[in-house]
Amino acid sequence: MLGVGGTIVLAPGLFQACDNGYVPVTAPAGSGGSGSASLDLSNDVGILNYAYALEQLEAAFYTAVVASAMFGSLSAEAQEVMADLRNHEVIHREFLKAALGNNAIGALAFNQATVAATLTSGPVILKNAEAFEDLGVSAYNGAGKYLKDAGYLTLAGKIVSVEARHAAAIRDMRDAAGVTGGTAAGTRFAGDDVVAASGAAAGLDVKLEPSAVLSRVQSTGLLSTMVSIGKPPSGTATPDAGPPSPTP
Amino acid sequence: MENSETILGKIEPDITQRFVTRREAILKGAAVSSTVAAGLAMMSAPIALAALSREAFGQAAPSSVQGVINFALMLEIFEYEFYSAVLGTSSVSAQNTAFAAVRAKVPAAALPAIQQIQKHEQEHVAFLKANGAVNTLNLTAASFDFTGARGAGNGPFAQATTDLAFLLLTAQGAEDTGVRAYKGQAPNLQSNPAVLEAALRIHSVEARHASKIRRLRRATGATKVKFSGTITGGGAAAAGADNIPSPPAGAVTALGLIYAGEDNVTQGGVDVTTLPNLPGGIDVKAVATEAFDEPLTAAQVVAIVQPFFIPALS
Repeated sequence: MLGVGGTIVLAPGLFQACDNGYVPVTAPAGSGGSGSASLDLSNDVGILNYAYALEQLEAAFYTAVVASAMFGSLSAEAQEVMADLRNHEVIHREFLKAALGNNAIGALAFNQATVAATLTSGPVILKNAEAFEDLGVSAYNGAGKYLKDAGYLTLAGKIVSVEARHAAAIRDMRDAAGVTGGTAAGTRFAGDDVVAASGAAAGLDVKLEPSAVLSRVQSTGLLSTMVSIGKPPSGTATPDAGPPSPTP
Repeated sequence: MENSETILGKIEPDITQRFVTRREAILKGAAVSSTVAAGLAMMSAPIALAALSREAFGQAAPSSVQGVINFALMLEIFEYEFYSAVLGTSSVSAQNTAFAAVRAKVPAAALPAIQQIQKHEQEHVAFLKANGAVNTLNLTAASFDFTGARGAGNGPFAQATTDLAFLLLTAQGAEDTGVRAYKGQAPNLQSNPAVLEAALRIHSVEARHASKIRRLRRATGATKVKFSGTITGGGAAAAGADNIPSPPAGAVTALGLIYAGEDNVTQGGVDVTTLPNLPGGIDVKAVATEAFDEPLTAAQVVAIVQPFFIPALS
């Protein structure tokens, strides 16, 4: 789903001895990788670990962006935004890790070559940032209904609106740079490609069920850790309304 | 009365206090809804009591799902009518006239964004109504004084009608209030997952709006506002109104209410400024306040928006 420039190699699941939630799987001979994490989404800990996995992904991406050779090619405004997003996603990641304590899944491992392919130019960086932020909004919006504890729901709410602010900012910058696929000029911050423009859900933002989110994550090839759903959420899924594939 | 204990037992304690006051008022001749009148006429205490409990708050008991979506509808109508007045498309010409001066100053490049925001607010109104929300106050375009003076037209936000920077500050305050209002009500919707999800999906749209308004403001001289659209700190300072020379005291007070508690850094019992592995060379406290948006209670929201509503909200 993420429009990376280079070849995406789907990472095979691999065995790595680790504490904190890794489930060892059999490795094909000769392959490399970093184990797997299985999420029990039938309870709040599992939902929070799902969020933690996504925040790990975002934090890793933005950390790589700020460290990348292409960071300097971004406008001063975009550099400020990227640094902010890195700061916020790192805080989200570390907060969820702290909140989960011994229940946290381990640190996810990344395919460095695939990560590098997301950073090949300023426009590519912005394209991928947009995809990450819209995916984060989709994930929190789709998972909130599965949280049982009101306090956790409030925490998820505190984070998702920040992700939506991020998404709007990235989208607005891309809009100003002439990216208008799926959106009318000047509206991309909350464009018709993410805020439904017709039908019974007109005016509502994207949402995806956890399985759809993890499928998109998996297909990027960014993670060498396989993150899967061990137990589905207890509750009724709703129709997905996800963000589009990133425009080139 | 035989069913009164059951009805009142289901209602939050402080409603009973309001109920007593309201009932006294009715006995003294205050207007009642037709439901209450019918109930009283039929000597039907349960109907009368149930209707009176709604009257006590001017709407359904606030923490019920019905109460929450009615509350949300009220806020969406407010936002929709605000943007309509700004754009000159209000059904009440006086509202359009009020904003004529500032409307001429809105740059053409910003118009699509404001129109998109207005479109969404209109869609939110339609969505909530289609899903059972009731406009219990019978709000119309004429129900609002966007200067914040309950109808006098000369309130602390009057400058929004003539000054672009002040208009954008006002829009920012409205959007950020909407985000915080939905966030505060989410736990009250847990009994209805479909409604909760819809509310979350509207909440994130309001956050996109808020971010865009902040970006517009930063691009036009509000140097303390982040291009990322996030909120730094709390209280009036979090509004980033440094580009407004001598704002009225009433506006500063209002901004203080809108951004009250936004500087919270204790999340789920964790002081997030002390988390490990944070990037070096950053203002950790500032970043910590930006990374999380904070909820407002319904009462806090009412206190913020009441000056803009001519009818009483509570």
